[in-house]
This record gives sequence, C-alpha cells and structure tokens, in this order.
Amino acid sequence: MPDSQSTPAPERSVALAIRKEKRFRPLGLTADSAIRRFFQGNAAFAILALVLIMVFLLREGAGFFGQNSRGIRVYRLAGLEYVDIIKGQLDRHAELTRAANALRLKIYSDALAKGAAPQAATAALAGFDAFAEALGDASEDVRSLASDLTEQAAAVKQREQIYQDSIEQKAMLIRAGKAGAAAAVSSVAVDFGREIKALSASLPIYKDANRLFAKKLNASLAMAGPQSVPAAWTPQLSGLKAAAERYAATFPEVEAELAAWRYDAPVPWYRSVTAFLFGRQWLTASFWQDWYGIIPLFIGSLLVSLIALLIAVPLGVVAAIYVSEVAGTGEKTWIKPAIEFIAAIPSVVLGFFGVAILGQSLRAVSETTWLAWVPGFPMSERLNAFTAGCLLAFMAIPTIFSLAEDALTNVPRHFKEASFALGATRLQTILRVLVPASLSGLISAILLGFGRVIGETMVVLLCAGNRIAIPDFTQGLGAFFQPVHTMTGIIAQEMGEVVPGSIHYRALFMVGIVLFLLALGINYVAQRVVQRYRISIG
Amino acid sequence: MIAVEKLDFFYGASQALHGIDLRIPENRVTAFIGPSGCGKSTLLRCFNRMNDLIDGTRIGSGRILIQGVDIHDPDVDVISLRRQVGMVFQKSNPFPKSIFENIAYGLEVQGVKNRRRLEEVVEKSLRGAALWEEVKDRLHTSALGLSGGQQQRLCIARAIAVEPRIILMDEPCSALDPIATAKVEELIHELKRSYTIVIVTHNMQQAGRCSDLTAFFYLGRLVEMGRTEKIFTNPVQTQTEDYISGRFG
Repeated sequence: MPDSQSTPAPERSVALAIRKEKRFRPLGLTADSAIRRFFQGNAAFAILALVLIMVFLLREGAGFFGQNSRGIRVYRLAGLEYVDIIKGQLDRHAELTRAANALRLKIYSDALAKGAAPQAATAALAGFDAFAEALGDASEDVRSLASDLTEQAAAVKQREQIYQDSIEQKAMLIRAGKAGAAAAVSSVAVDFGREIKALSASLPIYKDANRLFAKKLNASLAMAGPQSVPAAWTPQLSGLKAAAERYAATFPEVEAELAAWRYDAPVPWYRSVTAFLFGRQWLTASFWQDWYGIIPLFIGSLLVSLIALLIAVPLGVVAAIYVSEVAGTGEKTWIKPAIEFIAAIPSVVLGFFGVAILGQSLRAVSETTWLAWVPGFPMSERLNAFTAGCLLAFMAIPTIFSLAEDALTNVPRHFKEASFALGATRLQTILRVLVPASLSGLISAILLGFGRVIGETMVVLLCAGNRIAIPDFTQGLGAFFQPVHTMTGIIAQEMGEVVPGSIHYRALFMVGIVLFLLALGINYVAQRVVQRYRISIG
Repeated sequence: MIAVEKLDFFYGASQALHGIDLRIPENRVTAFIGPSGCGKSTLLRCFNRMNDLIDGTRIGSGRILIQGVDIHDPDVDVISLRRQVGMVFQKSNPFPKSIFENIAYGLEVQGVKNRRRLEEVVEKSLRGAALWEEVKDRLHTSALGLSGGQQQRLCIARAIAVEPRIILMDEPCSALDPIATAKVEELIHELKRSYTIVIVTHNMQQAGRCSDLTAFFYLGRLVEMGRTEKIFTNPVQTQTEDYISGRFG
C-alpha cells in the first residue's frame, strides 16, 4: 500500500504532481499493462496456433517421402517394376481392343438407325467380329506369362514385407526388455538377387510369346479386309489398323526395355517427390503396389472449383452490381441479408440436398432430347464434378457477393457523378467506370471465393462421385460431368481408416500440406490485390 | 438561357430552396455566392438534374427552363440534357484512367469510335482547357499523376469535350492553391466566349474577379441578383452588404 504517507507532506510543485503514484502492483503489473498483456496474449495465441498447425502438418507429412522412397525401392527390387513393363504393353493392347469394340458399336447402331434389322446388321458385321475377336485373343500367351510373373513378384514383395514386420517386432520386444522372445522371432532377409533370377530367366519365354503375339496380331489385321465394314466406315477401320500396326512396332522396344532392366539400379532421390507431385495414380491397399500420386485429386479439386467459379462469379458479381448500383433502398434491405444468409446453411445439409435432389434432377434434365447436343449429356453418373460444382457455387456466392459489393460501394461517389454528368447511362457508368475502378476488389473477391470452394469438404465428399481418376479431357466439356475425387474429400474419407504412422497416413498429410499451401497462396495473392486496389483508389 | 421560376426543392421533408426566381443570360459568367447550406449548390445541381441521383429529392413546385424547355418535362431525355449542361465538381474527379481516356469518355459513351475523331477532340479540348502543352507528351499515362490544378483543368477539358452549351462549376477552385486558381480563373474568362457558365463559389474575390453577374443566396432564398460590380459596390439589401463585407458567413 502507499508508502509515501510515511514521508512528510511535500510542497505542491510540478515535479511532485507529475510523479507516478506508487500503487500495489501484482506481479509488477499496473492495470494498464495487465490489459495490454491480455490482448497481446490473445493475439499471440492465434499466431501460436497457426504455427503449431504448420509444425504438426510438416512433422506428420515429412516422413512420407522416406517411406515412399523405400516403397519404390522394394517395387524395383522385388521385380514388380519388371512385370509392370509387360503389363503396360498389355494395357495398350486392351485399349486397342476397346477401340475396336467401340467402332463395332458405332457401325451397328448406325446400321439400325438406317433401318436395318438387328440380325442383318449383325450378319453384315461378321467379318469385323472375327477380326475383333482375333485381335483380342492375340495377346493370350503374353497375358498368361504376365499373370505367372505377377504371382512370383507379389510373393517376393510379401516375403520382404514379412521380413520388415519381423524386424519391427524384434525391435519392439527388445525395447520391452524381452530379448529372449526377440531372438525367437524368425526373420529371414530376402535375397533379391536370387529371387529376381527366376524373373529374368523368363525373358526368352517372353520373347517367344511376344513373337507369337505379333504374328497373331498381324494375322488378325489381315482378316480385316475392306469388305468387313460398310464402305462409309473404311477410314475408321484403316485408322484402327494403323494404330494396331504402330502398336506392334513398339514390341522390340518393350523387349529392349526388359532386357535392360536391372533390379539393383538405384532409385534416384527425387523419385519419391515426383511420384507424389506428378503421379497420375492414387492407389491404396492394393495387393500389388500402392501409388500416392496427387494429380487426380488435384485435378478433381481444380475442376470442381472451376465449375463452381464459372457459375458463382457471374451470379455473385452481377448480384453485387445490382444491389450496390441499381436496387432501391427497400430492395437492398432484404436482398443483401438473404444472399448472406446462404453462408449460414451447414454444408452437410447442402450436400444432402445435392445427393437427394440436385443430382437426380440434373440427370433427368440431361436425359431430355433437346439437350442432347451438350457434350457429356446424358450424364452417366448422378454424382459428378458438375453436381458438386453447382453446390459449391451456391456456397461461394455469399463470399463473392459480399466482397464484390464492398468493393463497388467503396468506389468514391465522385467517379459516378462525373460519369453521369458527362451524359453516360447507368449501364455505361457501371461497366466503364465502376467495374474498372473496383476491378482489383472484384478480383480479390473471386480469389477468396476460390479459396472458399477449394477448401470445402463435405459437399464434394457427398456429391463429387468420389472416383479417383483423372477425368477424360478428350471428351471436351464432357469432362465436367464425370465423377472425380478431391484433395479435401480424400482426407476426410480415408483419414479415419489409416494406421497412424503408415505411409498412407503420411500421404494424406502431404495432401493436407498441398491444400494448406494452396489456400495460403490464394489468400496472399488476394491480399496483395486488395492492397493495390487501395492505392489505386487513393 | 436558363430561367428558374418559383422553384421549391426538397430533400425528403426539409425544404432546401424557397421560391427561387432568376434568369441566367447566355455567354456570361454567373456566380452564386452565399454561406454554407444556403442552397446554391443544390440549385446548380438542379440545372443538369444531378439531384435525380440522390434518393428522396424532389421538386415541390416551379420550373427550370433552358432555352424555353422545361427540363423536368417527361419528354426531356436526362442523358441528352447532361450532354448540353456539363459540370465541373468541387473535388477534381478524373477517372482512374489515362488522360486520353478521360477526355474521350464523354464521346465514347455517345458511341463515337473513330480514333481520328477522338484524337482531334482530345487535342481541341485540352487546348481549350489550356492543358495541351503540359500533357501532350503523356496523354496515355494515368490522369491521377497530374497535379491538383492540372486535374481540375482536365475535368474542365473533359466537360467541354462533349460540346455542352452550359458549364456548371461547383466551387472548382476550393481545393487549389492560388497559382492553380489563377489559371482556372483565366480559363473561365476564356471559356465565356463560347459557353454559358454558372459558378458556385465561397470566395468573394473570385466572384468579383471572374463573374459578370452575381446572385446572393441565404437560407434557401435568393436575396439579390445583379451585375457583379453593383452587388459588390452598391447592394440593395443590407443582408448582401453584410455578407460581402464579411460581417457574417
């Protein structure tokens, strides 16, 4: 308590009047500084939380590359890579067969459309069918060899897995102080050099099978004479035959690749990074080889966001223009809250709406005949990128609308007056003065809308169709109507099932990091754009 | 040129102008003076119907005639009216575009696309606003890079580019330094030959220097209007004399 009382009452003077009063200060804090510390602490806590999240993401994700690298090394050591070379050849053959079948279907339905009876149409295609069948069967020797090799390689990989597990188990027992039990665990290292000999030994057999394959392929091509299809389809047939010939010409390359393949060739260090960033496959829990390539998910996320923005940007911006420039005060008072209320709808409710109503109605619409010209219609899947995109657009509209409306309202009134005073109409004023003057504000509104949709999870998980594959962009806009999976969706879907610490778990964290960096980048760019906008308006 | 007959004007419920009656002759500079809130700017903004942009404004009674046509007649197109009656604002307000685009704007919104024509008009208007020599080498740089006085002359150039008959100026020099003000006043003097000019000003000396007629407003009423020399040397109303001599306002 005040201890100045003990000293004699001082004279009144400026020097005394301005001196700080001595008060009781818990922990040496005055009320002012305590309040300051409190606010400081709150701000620091928010930043600390952000840092912790980043550290956590990085810590959990960082192990991924090491594990992925090991996985890829075993893929090579156990000979899976070798077998995949042959499988790749077979896959390309399967593509060729599919093309032949697709062509047959086209010719057949064309004949029906021209009034031919089904039997007659089938009979006319007898020659083609014989060719297609021979084409399909040409690969059977190579295929049976490949399936034998697949089993061998998979068995090697499994033994390696058992060996790794046993080492882990031993280490665990030793840590627990049970050295005796640890010694009892049998662990036999896999001798890849010996195992791989069985695979390499198959090369002559493969060469024989391959020669047979090429012979059969050529024989089947000889069957496809000009009479096997109606004259109008000859160009397509020769296109198909040319593709088959090009394919046959790659056989020596495949053989050379197999001959040159070495199980002990080192895996370059960057392989596990590129396999993640540019990998076109996300394949988990497979008996063969797991691949963690982010590309299908990344493209899925981008495609869904693109659709959402294509819908939300015109709607949001035009609504903002209407509210800020055209609507009367009465309209404003209810349009603005109504649009902003959309943001309050829980995303799971929107997703539910998408599954139950929107997907179904979109498909019904796509099946109407007068919309048949739209690429991708009729939709084959009820839930696809477009369904999810529509709902995401709905969620992005309030964000884009509010920010765009702010940007437009912040354009100084004197720009508008100057334009009107020069005899511009309202529309001219909006398009030539207000929109350009608020352009950076509008762009940042769109960017933040983009940030909103790319991070959205529930709606895409429920409505995007969840097929992990890169959409077939050869169909043009039809790609919009294919099911996709997204980065957010995959984390939400798979995180609950993975073993913590496993490569799959870490791969999901890596996806999370990519998503985090993307959102960070978008927000950063948006902020920079807004800064520029403030400066340009002055 | 402009005739105002018994004009009452309202912002919502409050009346801003009471029974204004005045005539503005052609090719003269008419100054509106009076203390803040006396309604002089409001009256000025009636002449090109800029008040239409403000919610809740309305004309109570009376008319405004320009060359005998009531500008509130339903047959009058407000867009065309504003092309005839240009305006320069208190705060210079060039668009955040290039100098060229600023001047060409008024023509472009009329649908003029011919590049040659636009270039001619831009040069003519900038010469008319005594700005050409200063900016001819940077027509395509941002207008916001000009000084305050240059920006205001740019706004005048922009107004005359659409060839109006009347130019309204709402305290055009209030944000300018004395040198820039002198240039604008000189310009007003030049423009008088081709345009009818109405200028609102707080600056007595300015009204004295550059106007032919002066109208003094007080509390929404026109107190006195006449030749500038007469208003300044020998006003009829004591209120006018008090204001001019600086006793109030």
